[in-house]
Amino acid sequence: MLAPAVSLVGVFIFLPMLLTIWLSFQAWSTQTGFGSARFVGLQNYTDLLSQLSVGRDFRQAFWNTAFYTGLSVIVILPLSVALGLMVYQTRVAGGHVLRTILFSTYMVPMIAVALVWSKLYSPNEGPLNQILGWFGFDRQLWLSSPDTALASIVLLNVWQQVGYFTVLVIAGLTQIPTSLYEAARIDGANPVQSFFGVTLPLLRRTLLFSAVIAVINAVQVFEPVALITQGGPANSTNVLTYYIRRVGIERAQGGLGSAMAVMLMLALIVVIVALFAFARRGDDDK
Amino acid sequence: MSSVRKGRLFRASKAKPLDALLVAGIVLVAVVSAFPLIWMVLSSFKTPAESMQVPPVWIPGSVNFQAYGEVADVINAGRSFWNSAVIATTTTLGILITSLMAGYAFAKYRFKGRDLLFAAVIATMFLPPIVTLIPLYRLVGSIGLNASLAGVIVPNLANAFGVFLMRQFIAGVPDDLIDAARVDGASELRIVFTVVAPAVVPAIAALALFAFVYHWNTYLWPLTVLQGQVDNYPIVLSLSRLLSYNRGAMNTGLVMAGATMAVLPPLVMFLLLQRFFVDSIVSSGVKG
Repeated sequence: MLAPAVSLVGVFIFLPMLLTIWLSFQAWSTQTGFGSARFVGLQNYTDLLSQLSVGRDFRQAFWNTAFYTGLSVIVILPLSVALGLMVYQTRVAGGHVLRTILFSTYMVPMIAVALVWSKLYSPNEGPLNQILGWFGFDRQLWLSSPDTALASIVLLNVWQQVGYFTVLVIAGLTQIPTSLYEAARIDGANPVQSFFGVTLPLLRRTLLFSAVIAVINAVQVFEPVALITQGGPANSTNVLTYYIRRVGIERAQGGLGSAMAVMLMLALIVVIVALFAFARRGDDDK
Repeated sequence: MSSVRKGRLFRASKAKPLDALLVAGIVLVAVVSAFPLIWMVLSSFKTPAESMQVPPVWIPGSVNFQAYGEVADVINAGRSFWNSAVIATTTTLGILITSLMAGYAFAKYRFKGRDLLFAAVIATMFLPPIVTLIPLYRLVGSIGLNASLAGVIVPNLANAFGVFLMRQFIAGVPDDLIDAARVDGASELRIVFTVVAPAVVPAIAALALFAFVYHWNTYLWPLTVLQGQVDNYPIVLSLSRLLSYNRGAMNTGLVMAGATMAVLPPLVMFLLLQRFFVDSIVSSGVKG
């Protein structure tokens, strides 16, 4: 009964994961069989930490990914709570329609998102600079400037993903017993106080889950970079998924690419453990 | 849902200006959210001259389908759509079968190491695909599936999310139902597909939709495994070829027409069946 799922997951996920770790200690061309791999110890890792150009590019990609991930999470979480409350409230109509519109963007293939936004961002023919102009703001270079390119990709990512996280928040909101709001009101709490006293603490588990998923999704950013910016301008949008594929597949430096993948995996484990520890500390405070 | 009680509660404090602000907020969010997609459709109807105007033209002078015809010429859109349909449908069917079986075993069987094995499978849900991409590429190549649709499909026939979702729902199927079928002499496989599956139809629908949309949209793995074999490109990969067809604003109509075509299947599917999407997120995401 378990054989199909477990063997498929074993062969196509677990085995490659173990191979990634093993290959990170080998010199190996991706164009050749695994048998041609040659053990080199920590050479790949020291290369990544060295002043070689691959090391400098890797570190840039690592920090770009960290910035991209951090900014995505910091924007998405509060926004999803605000939007979730907007959908969940029943004071005024429209919540349901809003939920449909928000979640629709999550269905759009990232490649189409990247294409459409590259046109929206176009400094001359794009509508975003025109709209900024109406409000008296300066025109931006968006994807064409090293200062704004990565943040511009965060923006399109937030646009695509926030609907999913909003639905997670709505799911969390439905779990909060109405009696708690009732009690808060009787105690004389105003809506702001009951938001911080009841809603937010009881959404903690939802938000932890959201944060973990948002981090995992964010490190996968690939299409806008591969298609629109190619890591530029000036390496400012070079991110790990793009760079690992470039080194490990396109340049066929499988050992080096695998070492980068292991570093990414370790960084993710650290971040996720830290998120859980942070949430647990909140539990103890209660 | 307790919308009646909830409504009364929130309405307890009356404040009209707040309502107006809320309406304004909802309208603003809806407009910002829908704008890129509306812009995409409008731009697909523009003439190349309209696409290049500064400041930009918002509404095209006429609805002109020329760009759609051009997309079909440049990328063999029919073939790309067929490839996408084959990839998404086959992968989804595989995921449904493997997830139902494994979900049933994890939910209803007792055996040594069950929880550990389940945890190991679930852990892969948190592994970004890039981590396994390099050896997987080689592995699939070594079994001769590179550059083929089978190479895109086979590694994805089972996944942790499906197993997890099915286990959650099948755990709620009464044991009596399964025992009765066993007494009647039904085989375990027969029980999964004729007794358990009908009892978890909403979860199956949700998983089918998630899987279909995900594998219609996915880009990194097909790009890597297909190695430039454009005859086997799904529509999302073919779209990237539109961008290089004509650089700059010249190709805007073309790119937008292609994007509109690629977006339609997953979007229509969602709009028809959104209830299942939302329900399954509610039950799998948070309670789990």
